Amino acid sequence: MKVQSFDLGSRATRLRSVLCVGAGVLLSSVAFAGAAAPSAGAAKAHAARTLSLNESGRLHLTSHHGFTLNEQGSASGTISGTIYLHLTISSTNHVTAEVNIYPSGGSLTGSASADYRVEGSLASFNGTMNIIRGSGRYSRARGSGLSFSGTVQRSTDAVNVRVSGRFSY
Amino acid sequence: MRTKTLTALLAALACAVLPATAAATTEKATLRASFSPDRLGASTTISFGFHVSTLEGTAPPPLTHVDLHMPAGMNYTRTQLGLSICQPEPLLQDGIAGCSPNSRLGFGKAFVEVPFGTGAGHEIPELQALMGPSPNGNLVVLFYASGLFPVTAQLTFLGEVLPDHGRFGSQLVTTVPPVASVPGGPGVSIVDVESPIGPSHLTYYKHVHGRKVPFTPQGVLVPTSCPRGGFPFTAEFGFQDGGSTTASTAVPCPPKRRR
Repeated sequence: MKVQSFDLGSRATRLRSVLCVGAGVLLSSVAFAGAAAPSAGAAKAHAARTLSLNESGRLHLTSHHGFTLNEQGSASGTISGTIYLHLTISSTNHVTAEVNIYPSGGSLTGSASADYRVEGSLASFNGTMNIIRGSGRYSRARGSGLSFSGTVQRSTDAVNVRVSGRFSY
Repeated sequence: MRTKTLTALLAALACAVLPATAAATTEKATLRASFSPDRLGASTTISFGFHVSTLEGTAPPPLTHVDLHMPAGMNYTRTQLGLSICQPEPLLQDGIAGCSPNSRLGFGKAFVEVPFGTGAGHEIPELQALMGPSPNGNLVVLFYASGLFPVTAQLTFLGEVLPDHGRFGSQLVTTVPPVASVPGGPGVSIVDVESPIGPSHLTYYKHVHGRKVPFTPQGVLVPTSCPRGGFPFTAEFGFQDGGSTTASTAVPCPPKRRR
């Protein structure tokens, strides 16, 4: 489900409408725009769009190094694109991970920490993820406490991962 | 009739010896550990074993728990050991055939001493380690011991793999249940255990295009660097009389490979 907040964005839209008023009110418009300019800049800087992410990824092992499995696959859900996961088994019951998703027009990077358990042919992890940076249209992406969970098929090291929660960008 | 007489005789002997075994003893233990192969970063079979005795020369009291601390850097990331889970009930009912071959982690043997024994110990020829159910989310090693003489018993007990700290990366915490020598008699003492865990001598099966294909599972990996003095192992032993003892050993660093 995609939830977007355009409070400040619609304010900017209103400002643009004001700026498009005829020359008769140019002076006042310019004066208004001048007064509003810092505010418009602020609106851009704090464009608090919020997205409720509900993402699933199916990944396969591309390489491994030490305690880290490097995985690649495709993400689907709120956004879709290529997903990369670097899953590090930090102890017998804990993992950390870096998640990179490359949707159209940008990227998102998350840092996750989760409990880890082995249950026969599957290992599972369940924890939280923070969105720590982004690029392109998600260059201001930030979020914390997103749900991060998934499974590792132990015979193949294929991973299914799920990420859900809200973040701003 | 003959069996009943023998059992009664054993019970009487056990009771006669019980005060001696109940007397305070000072337990001591030695620990053995090895990697096979012992090569940095290699998939390996971890063999560990211990021998328990007393300074007094009597049979040690029954063991209640063993905490085995294993070196930091052991890599569990890609091990395929324990792809299936073995439940204790079918194991007790049907023996090792009651569980999938893909749940086997290793097998070894144990020596037990009955309170009225000679001190030499009697072999329990079958000691299996299997992947057990995990109620707490930790790796669980399900041990299965099957003996016919001097103790006719099949028993299971659990070891839980927990994180550790410092020189140790994980610990196998095993609770040993009491094993009666004869019905109503004193418990037997475990005096020696050898229990390899790893792919050596294990065959797993997978289905490929409808065919059952055997394969050797990937084991735990030896750390990629060796600390000074070798890979440390330490075990703490607890006994039914409240006593405890500790033993340590180290797996020597593998020789550096020539380039």
